[in-house]
Amino acid sequence: MNADSDKPGSEMRLAQPSRARAAIRRERGLPYLLVAPAVAVLLALSIYPLVYLVKVAFQTGSGDAVRWTFANFERLASDGFFLTALWHTLVYAATALTFEFLLGLGLALLLDRSIRGRAVFRAILLIPMMLPSVVVGVVWRLMLNPTSGAINGTLQGAGMNTDRLTWTASTALALPSVIAVDVWQWTPFMFLVLLAGLQAIPQEPYEAALIDGSSAWQTFRHVTLPLLRPAILIALLLRTMDLFRVFDQIFILTQGGPGNATETVSLYVYRTAFRFSDFGYAAAMSFVLLAMTNVVSLIYIRLLQRQEPA
Amino acid sequence: MKRDVGETRRRRHTGTPRHPIKVGRAGYAVRYAGRYGVLGLAVVVTLAPVYWMITMSLKSEVDQFAVPPRWFGFSPTLAHYYDAFFARSFGGYLLTSVIAAGLSTGCAIVVGTLAAYGLTRLTMPAKLGRRLSVWILSTRMFPPIVTAVPLFLMVQGIGLLDSVASLVIVYTAFNLPFVVWMMRGFFQEVPREMEEAAMVDGDSRLGALWRVVLPLVTPGLAATAVFCLIISWNEFLMALVLTQTDAAMTLPVGIAGRVTQYEIKWGVMSAAGVVAMVPILAFAMSVQRYLVRGLSMGAVKG
Amino acid sequence: MQKKSGSLPSTISLCLSLLLIACSFGACRRSAAPDGKSLTLAVNSGVEGDALKQAARDYETQTGVRVNIAEFPYANLFEKELIDLGAGSGAYDLIMLDDPWFPRFAERELLADLTPMFNRRNLAGPDDDFLRSSLALCRQPYETGALYALPYVGNSQLFFYRKDLLENHGLKEPVTWDDALAAARTISERESAGAPGGRQVYGYVMRAAQGNAVVADFMPIFWAFGAEMFDAEGRPTVNSAEAVAALRFMLDLGKYAPPGYVSFNADEVSAHLLQGTAAMSINWPAWISAFDDPERSRVIGKMAFTTMPAAKNPGRAEIGNWLIAIPRGSKNADAAFDFLVWATSREQMKQSALRVNPPTRRSLFEDPELLARFPAYPAQLRSLETSKPRPRTPLWNEIENTFGIFLSKANSGELSPEVAMNQANVEIEKIIARNRR
Repeated sequence: MNADSDKPGSEMRLAQPSRARAAIRRERGLPYLLVAPAVAVLLALSIYPLVYLVKVAFQTGSGDAVRWTFANFERLASDGFFLTALWHTLVYAATALTFEFLLGLGLALLLDRSIRGRAVFRAILLIPMMLPSVVVGVVWRLMLNPTSGAINGTLQGAGMNTDRLTWTASTALALPSVIAVDVWQWTPFMFLVLLAGLQAIPQEPYEAALIDGSSAWQTFRHVTLPLLRPAILIALLLRTMDLFRVFDQIFILTQGGPGNATETVSLYVYRTAFRFSDFGYAAAMSFVLLAMTNVVSLIYIRLLQRQEPA
Repeated sequence: MKRDVGETRRRRHTGTPRHPIKVGRAGYAVRYAGRYGVLGLAVVVTLAPVYWMITMSLKSEVDQFAVPPRWFGFSPTLAHYYDAFFARSFGGYLLTSVIAAGLSTGCAIVVGTLAAYGLTRLTMPAKLGRRLSVWILSTRMFPPIVTAVPLFLMVQGIGLLDSVASLVIVYTAFNLPFVVWMMRGFFQEVPREMEEAAMVDGDSRLGALWRVVLPLVTPGLAATAVFCLIISWNEFLMALVLTQTDAAMTLPVGIAGRVTQYEIKWGVMSAAGVVAMVPILAFAMSVQRYLVRGLSMGAVKG
Repeated sequence: MQKKSGSLPSTISLCLSLLLIACSFGACRRSAAPDGKSLTLAVNSGVEGDALKQAARDYETQTGVRVNIAEFPYANLFEKELIDLGAGSGAYDLIMLDDPWFPRFAERELLADLTPMFNRRNLAGPDDDFLRSSLALCRQPYETGALYALPYVGNSQLFFYRKDLLENHGLKEPVTWDDALAAARTISERESAGAPGGRQVYGYVMRAAQGNAVVADFMPIFWAFGAEMFDAEGRPTVNSAEAVAALRFMLDLGKYAPPGYVSFNADEVSAHLLQGTAAMSINWPAWISAFDDPERSRVIGKMAFTTMPAAKNPGRAEIGNWLIAIPRGSKNADAAFDFLVWATSREQMKQSALRVNPPTRRSLFEDPELLARFPAYPAQLRSLETSKPRPRTPLWNEIENTFGIFLSKANSGELSPEVAMNQANVEIEKIIARNRR
């Protein structure tokens, strides 16, 4: 769906009076002018950091002993903490994404029709993603408190023994707990984008399917999903990028603990950069993260652009 | 399945079932109940933590950690709100947050919309346009932790440390990629013929943009603006690193500051959290009907 | 354009927000600085920060010099200060340091030497009223080197216990850690409904969240069992037999701790003590007054405090003073020094003490007015005088961070004590090797 110059409109242009042609000539430089401010701002704020990061990642030693080496990157391969953090990041991203997508899709399908109170439901369901991550972390930390938190309190009220359910204190339950909080906070985002996508689908294909006698499932699979594809991909793309760099909620909820059971790459980078003052190593780690994010994003973008007409 | 762009405008938001299913009366009732049941559950799950936070902001400390947890039976106190806004500088934090989020959103929208327009509308070698778009998006991929230190050094070099201006600049840069990508999608949905018609009538390109195209993408613009506001309002790490005194701290930094060495001032934190929520929710709720409509207009169609 | 429906609720909420913002103008107290000087002080959020804010106001009234306080959460204060001072940003004229951070700042020559400043005022140095153990922390090398800070808050751990519960079960004040363990067991077993609301009372509660929390609560046990972090040559010895025994003991204590203690930080520990659901703990003196506050405590008058229990070695608390230092690049060093001397003077420190911050001057620990208000002062003084500082290595933050992770893993059952300590030792060796110049 790229606005290319070989659409019907361009033929129209050739037939226009010379005044318009002159205007068009003038505007050949216009796109660059329009894009320039954005590019300038982004360049300014990403060039220096990038250069800085490259510098520290590829250097070791300090003062007079500065050398250009791969040492920081080599260290990554044998660092148990990093590999664990990488694993945690992947598990976190994959699990959260799956749940957020499925729940978001379900909710979007439910609210895609005009039912009573639709606007109210929609408004309420959007709330979690509007809260600052700091606040979300705080609230859930309170709720997940094993003794005085609302979750265990309610479960105990229902008669369950919650001694083993220590949530963010349990090595086994900590990562799932943190993922659950992410799902709570960001499902609304998925829901919003998917709902928008659903509402962008015109009636005609559905009517056609109805006439053809498709079942609900068939309609969903062959009509809804393909037409929803761009929305799905955009939602997944944006969300994946953010999941790989997740930091705020985990920091407040568990600080990466217990031990390093919930430590993702971002948190390990934070620990390395700020507790250990080892910026070089932290930079090397972020390059790995960046590479990972790039690869995944490019896949999504490729998929997105594949459906654009040639 | 190629759709003619013009047709999608004429959608009917009626009660016609989107996913037609033939069921009997009883089945319909079950479906109906099931649907509202699920939605009700979703609402409870969504609101329970928010409600809990509101109650924490109103409970005295003895009640806050009562076992079993008190959902309802407690005597409310406004002490925490007083503490937050009069004994501490949360009022100032709120103001800074408003300025930083508002200004940065405004800048990002203006700069980003122009850039998106340039990328989609005007003749640029297609590959360059696409590459540029992808590059713009990629600036969003870096973990903020790591850019925090060089950005700190840069901002310090310019002498803008501990000022709201630095936050505005940084947040604008954060929001730009998002704005560009969203607006790009919206602009692709507006037929070129519309501006060209205006230009034939004697309007300049930018004039056509202002008078013809922008009104059409306003819902999308609103949706994008809301997202930008949310992101800037809630941002924590950069604000923490770039601010040094109360003069420039934002709400999230202030809230996190309630985590002291010995205790967490849950009351003040919850009160501040409630207040951090209100403006954003108010704004979002008032434009939320645009959110869905706006998004459905363009970006999600690729 | 769609018709505006449901605009009333949105209008109301928008008005509310605008009202809030308007209030923020009113509540916002950012008046312009007077034409005198102004200083900026970076502090820790909490009682120390609050006390210093008050002190700043008093100082401005007395001298006209404005002192701005920048508060940061404990979790972020260290790196904030390190980044700012390392970059020479000059934003802060004074900073508060937790004493374990001090060696790193001093080693990197980020702090101003205070002795010349004392000399310029015809003083040899700080007066004798400062506690020896507190002042020693302000020198790099420890106790003998140049003076880079002054101690402001004299924290040293105390052992807290519920005297009513111990009396009820015929137990005496714990003198050794074995006493403590036995008491914890007894109370946990017999008090399954002893807390307000019919809840279980746990014999012991501790901070075991990875990092500073677990290490702070572990060191007294560690030292009492005869273990040391480093040997005479500076090699780590956390996998010694004594150390592993100490960790095993900690796990034993953990059996009588509330569920989830593995991620407890100071606030959860205190919440349990205040709610009456835990009977014993190591904690900092800042909490003492909270126990008698009816707004917060359900155990008014029931807590007692003593010095650390002993094991193989006499009990020694971990000292944790807050120091105030002047960054080397400060443009207002002299004005900052004036404030520093003023704030740590006897009268001002007494004000700070009245605001619940333990002092670092002996005379204040013996001051009758303070003694009446803080009956635990004698115990605190004893604790301070017999306290032990954490190893004064500039690498302490990294070492503590790593050590803390392994202690946490042992407490959560992920690793056995021996494995945890061995791995910790290896990691600490790596840290030292990496930073060898």
